[in-house]
Amino acid sequence: MFKNNTVLISIALLILMFMFAVGGCDTEKVEHAETVVLRLEGGDWGFPQPYTRYSRGPGNAKVNYIFDKLIEKDENGFIPWLAQDWEILDGGKKYVFQLVENAQWHDGEPFTAEDVVFTFEYIKKYPPVDAVDIFMDDSFLLEVKALSDYQVEFTFAGVDPNLFENLSSVYILPEHIWSKVDKPDEFISEEAVIGTGPFMLTDYNKEHGTYRYEAFRDFWGPEPAVDVLEFVPVSDPVLALEKGDIHCAGIPVDVLSRFENDPKYTIVQRPGFWGYRLRFNMEKLPVFKIKELRQAFAYAIDRQDLVEKTARGAAVAGSLGVLPPDHRWFNPDLPKYEQDLEKAKALLKQAGLEGEKLRFELLVGEDTEVRIGELIREYLSDIGIEIQVVSTDMKSRDSRIAEGNYQLVLVGHGGWARDPSYLGERFTGGDRGDWSSGTPGYYNARVEELAKQLKTEIDEEVRKEITMELQQVLAEDVPEICLYLTTGHDVYRNDIHDGWRHVFDHHMMEHNILSFVKR
Amino acid sequence: MAKKILLGLKSTWQNLSISGKVAVAILILLLAMAIFAPFLSWLPHYRSSGPPLHPPGWPHLLGTDELGVDIWAMICYGARVSLAVGLGTALLAGLGGGIIGIFAAFKGGWVDRFVMRLIDIMIALPDLPVMIVLAAFFGPSLLNIIIVLSLFSWSIPARVARAGALSLKEQPYIKMAAHYGAGPFYLLMRHYIPELLPLILVSMIRLAGMAIVAEASLAFLGLGDPTSRSWGLIINHAVNFKGIYFTEYWKWWLLYPWLFLTLLVTSLALLGRDLERIADPRMVRMGVRS
Repeated sequence: MFKNNTVLISIALLILMFMFAVGGCDTEKVEHAETVVLRLEGGDWGFPQPYTRYSRGPGNAKVNYIFDKLIEKDENGFIPWLAQDWEILDGGKKYVFQLVENAQWHDGEPFTAEDVVFTFEYIKKYPPVDAVDIFMDDSFLLEVKALSDYQVEFTFAGVDPNLFENLSSVYILPEHIWSKVDKPDEFISEEAVIGTGPFMLTDYNKEHGTYRYEAFRDFWGPEPAVDVLEFVPVSDPVLALEKGDIHCAGIPVDVLSRFENDPKYTIVQRPGFWGYRLRFNMEKLPVFKIKELRQAFAYAIDRQDLVEKTARGAAVAGSLGVLPPDHRWFNPDLPKYEQDLEKAKALLKQAGLEGEKLRFELLVGEDTEVRIGELIREYLSDIGIEIQVVSTDMKSRDSRIAEGNYQLVLVGHGGWARDPSYLGERFTGGDRGDWSSGTPGYYNARVEELAKQLKTEIDEEVRKEITMELQQVLAEDVPEICLYLTTGHDVYRNDIHDGWRHVFDHHMMEHNILSFVKR
Repeated sequence: MAKKILLGLKSTWQNLSISGKVAVAILILLLAMAIFAPFLSWLPHYRSSGPPLHPPGWPHLLGTDELGVDIWAMICYGARVSLAVGLGTALLAGLGGGIIGIFAAFKGGWVDRFVMRLIDIMIALPDLPVMIVLAAFFGPSLLNIIIVLSLFSWSIPARVARAGALSLKEQPYIKMAAHYGAGPFYLLMRHYIPELLPLILVSMIRLAGMAIVAEASLAFLGLGDPTSRSWGLIINHAVNFKGIYFTEYWKWWLLYPWLFLTLLVTSLALLGRDLERIADPRMVRMGVRS
C-alpha cells in the first residue's frame, strides 16, 4: 500500500554507504575512446525549443545547444556570433549586422538574413517563453530588413543601451520550417529542433528527464569539443560524479575535500549570481505597502546566519539594494540592515502595528527552501510576527507567483549579474504575470523614474550613477529582501572534458555554449 | 465488563512471546516519551538552540541539525506526531474498514458485491497521485494526513474482516442463533464483532506501522506542515542534506531518528505478529503456538 518506505530506503542507503567505505574510491576507469561522451545531471526542463522549454536557466541552456543567437557572451562581455560584425548608424537607432556566411541549418539548408528577418517577425506574433519587451514593441523596433543574403538592418525608434543583452536572448529560427507553424508551443516534432547551433538533439524523454545531443559536424563556428552530450537521471550528484556516471556536478562544501587531492578533478567556484529573495505581495495584502513593516522584516532576518546555516557558508549575504555584491555596479554604501530586533520592533511600533496580530503565509519550494523558511519563521517570531511556511514543488511555486497567488514568497534564481535594467522589470509596472519579474501592488515614483532613465541612457558612466541611486532608493524602500547569493562549487572530470568556463554574468558553466566548443 | 477486559489482557500478556513482551515495553516507553516530552527535553524543538551540526554532547544530547535545532528535543516531540498518526490512522481505518467488511459479509448480495468492487478500486488506485489531489483539496494539517491515510488503508482490514465474517456465517451455532430468532444487531454485537475483533486489531497494528512511515513522505507532498517535527521529517531533511553520507553528520542527524522510527515500527510489527498468532485459532491448532 505505502510504497514510500523510508525505513527500507534508509537501510539500503546505509548498506550502499558501507559498500563504498569498504570499496574505497575504486571508480570505474573511463575509456579514452575516439568519441567524447560527456554526461551531466538530467531533469525535465521541457522540449528544447524556444516555445516549449521551461522558463529557467537549465531549460534555456537545453535550447542554447541547438539554436544560435546573433550575439553570444563570453568571460568578458558580448561577442559576435551569428552576427560577425556590425555597424552602428544614426546615433544608435540603426544597426547593420553582417552575418556569418558559412552557417547552415541541421537539415542542410543554408542560413541567410531572411531567417533573421523572419524570426523577429515571428516572435512579435508569437512571443516565446522568454520574450524581450523591446522586440515585441512595434513602436520601438520599427523595421528589420535584409539588405543582402548576409546583411540585416535593424531600425529602432530610440536607443536601447541594452540591445546586445536583448539580442543575446533571441534564438534565430529557420524560416523554411517555422513559417508553416502557427502553434509554436505545440510544435514538438523532429523539425522543431533544427537550428544552426553546435549540437543536434537526438533524444528527449520527458518522463525520465533525459536529453541526448550529438555534435553537428558542419557547425559554422568553433568545432564542438564533445561528440555526445547526455543528460541522465541522477539521485546523488556526489556519488554519481565519483562513479563516473556524470562528469560535472555541483558539490556541497562539506564533501569538497573528497575531490581536492585527485588530479582528475578540477574544482571551480561559482560566482555569486544565483540568489534567493523574499517577495511581498502588496496587492493581496496591502499591509505590506507600509514601508516600516518591510524594513522591520529586513532588520529581523539575519542574512549572514542564513548563509552559515542553509548554505553552509558557501554564499554571500544579499544587499537590500538588490544588486549582488559581485555585480560590477554594486553600491557598497547602502544601509547594511544587520540583524537588530530592537530596531525592527521600533519600526513596527512606528507603523502602528505594535500589538497587532501579524500572521502571514510564506510560500517556499522544496528542500533547502523549507529550511530557509523555518529560519525566517524563527527570526520573525522574535518580533512578534507569525509565519506559516507552506511548501510546494518548484514549478507550482513559480506558477503561483505568476498568478499572484501568495502573501510572501521565497524564490531562488539566476541572472543577478545581468545589466541592472532588470531592476526596472522587478520593481515597476506592478504585476507582470510571470514568476521572475514584477512586484504586485508596489509603486515608487522615484524607482519608476530611475528605471526609465536606465532604459534609455547610453552613457555608461551616467547609467552607473543612476544604478547607484536606484540601489539607494531600493535599500531604503525594501520592496523585496535579497537573502543571499550562492557561491557553491562545481567539480568536473578534466580527463573527459576540460573546456568549462563561466560567462561574465552567469553562475553555471553548463548553461554556456562556449563550454562545449573548442576555442 | 472491566474485569473481563483485564482478564483478557492478562491472558494475552501471558500468551505473548519474549519479543512480543519487549515490544510492548518499548511501545509503552515511547508512549511515555510522547506524553512527557516537555519534561524530557530541556531545549526547544521548534527553533535553533545551538551551533549547526553540533555532534552529540552536552547540552545537545543527540547533537543538532543543520539549523542548530536540538535533535533529542525534536525526537521527543516527534514521538507525538508519529504516534498520533499511527494510532489515529489505525483506529479510523481499522475500525471503519473492519465494520464495513463485517457488514458486507453479513448482508451479502449486492451490498457485498458493491463493497468488494469498492475495495478493488481502492487497491487499484495509484495512491500517490490521488493523495496529491486530496492534499490540494484538504489543505495541510495533521488531521488531514490521518484522514487521507485512512482513506487509503481501510480496504485491508475490510477484506480481512469480511473473510472472517464469511466463514463465521457458516458456523452451525450462528445459524442456530439466527434460527432461534436472533436479530442482525444482536448477531453482530454478540458474535461477529467479538469474534473478529482480534483479527481486526492485528491488521490495525500493521496499519499503524505503515501509516507512521507514510506520514513523512506525505508531508513533503504538501499534505502537512513541512516545518513540523515528526521523525520522518527529521530523516527527510537529513537525507535531503546534500552529500550527508560523505560527512559524519549522518551519525547523529540521521541515525537517531531512524533508530527511534525503526524501534517503533519493529515493535508494532512484533506485537502484531504475536497477536495474530494468538488471535488466529487455526494457527494454534496447527501447532504454531510456541
